[in-house]
Amino acid sequence: MNTRSETGMETPTIAQPGALRLGYAVAGIALVVLLMAWPAIAGKFATSLMTQILIFGLLSLSADLLLGHAGLFSLCHAAFFSVAAYTTAILQVRYSVATEAAACLGILAGTGLGLIFGLAVRTRGVYFILVTLALGYIVWGVGYRWSSFTGGDSGVTNVPSPTLFGFPLEDPTTYYYFVLCVVAAVAYGYGRVVRSPFGLTLRGIKYAERRMHSLGFHPVKHLYCAFVLSAFLASVAGVLYVYFNKFVNPVSASLHNNVEAILMAILGGSGSILGPFVGAAFVLGLRNWVSSFFELYLTVMGIVFIAVVIWAPGGVSGLVQRLINRLRS
Amino acid sequence: MSETVLSLRGVHKSFGGIHAVDNVSFDVKAGERRVVIGPNGAGKTSLFHCISGTHTPTTGSIVFCGEPITHMPEHKRTLLGIGRTFQISSVCLELSALENVLLAVLGVRAQKWDFWNSFHADQGLQRQAEEKLVMVGLSTKLNRQVSDLSYGERRQLELALALSNDPQLLLLDEPCAGLSPAERQRFFSLVKNVPRSVTLLMIEHDMDVALGLADRVTVLHRGQVILDGTADEVRVNEKVREVYFGRV
Repeated sequence: MNTRSETGMETPTIAQPGALRLGYAVAGIALVVLLMAWPAIAGKFATSLMTQILIFGLLSLSADLLLGHAGLFSLCHAAFFSVAAYTTAILQVRYSVATEAAACLGILAGTGLGLIFGLAVRTRGVYFILVTLALGYIVWGVGYRWSSFTGGDSGVTNVPSPTLFGFPLEDPTTYYYFVLCVVAAVAYGYGRVVRSPFGLTLRGIKYAERRMHSLGFHPVKHLYCAFVLSAFLASVAGVLYVYFNKFVNPVSASLHNNVEAILMAILGGSGSILGPFVGAAFVLGLRNWVSSFFELYLTVMGIVFIAVVIWAPGGVSGLVQRLINRLRS
Repeated sequence: MSETVLSLRGVHKSFGGIHAVDNVSFDVKAGERRVVIGPNGAGKTSLFHCISGTHTPTTGSIVFCGEPITHMPEHKRTLLGIGRTFQISSVCLELSALENVLLAVLGVRAQKWDFWNSFHADQGLQRQAEEKLVMVGLSTKLNRQVSDLSYGERRQLELALALSNDPQLLLLDEPCAGLSPAERQRFFSLVKNVPRSVTLLMIEHDMDVALGLADRVTVLHRGQVILDGTADEVRVNEKVREVYFGRV
């Protein structure tokens, strides 16, 4: 059973009745089958779109570890995503480093930056938002202005296709399955973390930080770990992105990219695992569809977002949950 | 039973020009039921904040079980064995009653750093949390979201949280505030049933509750201790009457 808080975020709670659990299991299996069969049934373009959805869903999930579970609205997650992508791209293109090492170093660079930027968790509320906004802009500024190293506006191009342990991932369908496996593994780990004592602690901090001190917790330490963990997830997404996109430019570190990732989480359902991916599918799907016949697609996105916040604050997953609850009662 | 659990010497806390706690010294013995009373603004809650670590005293020293804790952060005092409830309920409304207590049990364990195993699957942890909820009479409300609980039940949950780290010293800040007379009675008996292994320091406005429970009473007025004695001494003391009812 899930319960909705005042903020409309989903908070997982205790036991589920058998029938409902069966329903979830069937839906889960259907989802796995759909994702596995996707390239065969949906064609090339849709496979590429789904790869993007998985990658940006992962970025959204990383930001939502902080937003949905710890109540922190971070505006520097695109920075981790971007730094990981740039590091991998530069190592591959300029130094011909092998994929395995370039990818690992990319993730390490993004996570390392998270270790430094994580000091932002000493602030709260609007100050946290402003500090992370400023940190995000620093990375964007470096990417944009330090053109001798980052390639400036045009970024790093011609990133080669990845080859893992001698196995080429060049084919878009192969790469889709690779991304699917990575995202599935990360989502599984994420699920374990949010259901662990650590995850429960984050929710305790979100709802009653003052009280957590008197229960023996040091909230800043927990939040710092959550921050670094979410930087790691954003970095994984960044590396997947650069091999998919074949180039990286400062747009990847932009505020727009960051806000879009957070909107995905809110649209899909913040505080759940599936929510950010549903949100990513919603945003990227709608963008592809609307932009094909209407130039001002951002206006449409804005209206959709406002409508969701007003009428479905729990996002798409919240709506589904409400529907299930109505059916049950 | 006679060793000192808590010892305050010259504790002073000022906020700008206001002396909220002014040179307070007293000892609390193991197992004692000590009630702190005083009119509004007497500095009772500020004193509690100094003992629990929410505030650091401006001057003076606090010793808990032989260990100086004057400048120790709040969470470390909890690990040492100090539990507290708040005047205004500060439980997680969005979580279930059981999850709230699970957090309290985890707070003093290294297990709070477990990133991988489900907290639902840990039977020992669950049992311990359930026991605390049964102890405060919330056995039928385990899985209810706290926002669905009544005010009185939230006060009971507050007590369960404070007991979860098996404290040696329990600080209760007006635990009965805002409760109906019937709820007050029930809560009072819960507090009475707290085992003597736990030393109680409690702020209470209700004189019947306060004097019925206390071994000793400390009366605060304008941040200072004006009397430290037994319930009977407090009842007949002229100065206490004057503070509470004004000069006749």
